[in-house]
Amino acid sequence: MKTKRTIIMLCLLGAALPAAAFDLGSVDWKKAAETVKKVQRANAEIDEPQEITLGDGIASNLLGAAPLLDNPAVQQYVNRIGRWLTLQTERPDLPWQFGVLDDNDVNAFAAPGGYVFITKGLLAQMNSEAELAGVLAHEISHVLRKHHLQAIKKGARAELLSDLANDAIRSNNADPRFTKLVSAGTEVYARGLDKKDEFEADRMGVVIAARGGYDPYGLPAVLQTLQSINPTDSNVALMFKTHPAIADRLSQLDREMPGYFANQENQPDLAPRFFQALGAGKK
Amino acid sequence: MKNVIAICLLFGLAPAAWAGGYAYTIRPTELKAKPFSDAQTLATLAPRVRVEVLGRQASWTQVKADTRSGWVKMLSLQLEKSGQSRRGDNGLGALFNVATTGKSGSTVTTGIRGLSEEQLKNSRPDPQALQAAKRYAVGRAEAQRYAEEGKLSAHSVGYMSGGQ
Repeated sequence: MKTKRTIIMLCLLGAALPAAAFDLGSVDWKKAAETVKKVQRANAEIDEPQEITLGDGIASNLLGAAPLLDNPAVQQYVNRIGRWLTLQTERPDLPWQFGVLDDNDVNAFAAPGGYVFITKGLLAQMNSEAELAGVLAHEISHVLRKHHLQAIKKGARAELLSDLANDAIRSNNADPRFTKLVSAGTEVYARGLDKKDEFEADRMGVVIAARGGYDPYGLPAVLQTLQSINPTDSNVALMFKTHPAIADRLSQLDREMPGYFANQENQPDLAPRFFQALGAGKK
Repeated sequence: MKNVIAICLLFGLAPAAWAGGYAYTIRPTELKAKPFSDAQTLATLAPRVRVEVLGRQASWTQVKADTRSGWVKMLSLQLEKSGQSRRGDNGLGALFNVATTGKSGSTVTTGIRGLSEEQLKNSRPDPQALQAAKRYAVGRAEAQRYAEEGKLSAHSVGYMSGGQ
């Protein structure tokens, strides 16, 4: 039985093995067993406390790259909207934490365990609370579906994760292996998530915003605005590089949204509250 | 619009593209008298017609085509690319960064920190900033209170299948 399972695992490994491996006479079983063990560990689920610990580290690194906007009113506002949206999801009890980064770059980031950051550059492109909700809900979806963890696993450091994840995350932050894991997690922002994960986050994001009572067209409205930014503008370089073409994202939403949100057509966008909340932070 | 400008001044950024901008139709598009599918059709706009954007309501964008105003499906439009140089490249952003660095008392030189690909790869953790961020976390009750204040109510909507 055990051998049978091993063979199935080897078949799943497929590409990694030469065709000759299926001639059972020539298999190096010891090596195969080691490989299988590794794959099994790589596929091992990271549990929620581990996910949160890893997210803490990645969020700390992100804040090392860009500071928090020094504007408590704006920070509180974004947290209120974001937290409300998370209550409409399948993971309402994560320690959700939102933040606005003091950077002109137009971008947003999610980290495992419930972290969502948007830049003030992106915030300044928005025209209503529903648009903010749409963007936050897109990022929340990345956390819900653990897209970031999958990207780390798929990345160049997959081996590192499989070898170190469990031990490193259980130990404390001083462990150099944990630092490596966090670096790998931060590098995902430079590389981008899987394109299909971005499309999924768009699809889920508009639904989560609609569940929260908002006009579901906030996210496509922001995307449409971003599409109008000159692509040579350095502030959109990374966002454009790490995401599917905006035209493709909009046409996916255009295929699926009409009809689906017929009952949500009249939900509010709360534009006045958005401008008031951001203006109130003025010093 | 006044609010938009105030926020842009606050952040040192150029205003977003919505109101007052222009867009092109990307397909044959009905110009409706009101933002409803069964509203009166005023005209059918050909692809690549340039329209002035007046505002948005849910999936509808209010536009002015020639002399006629009406509503078209938002995703039948592509906003015109902004030609002028924007944030960061227009000097205002740089000015804002200098002011921020001074205000926060940070000794970090502008240029080392940032969200470019290289900067992200070389970032160092800032646990203090993480603690500061956590001070703004909002609990369930406060989130619900603020939603009620905005007259938001939760709805049950299933996820879209993604065409599967």
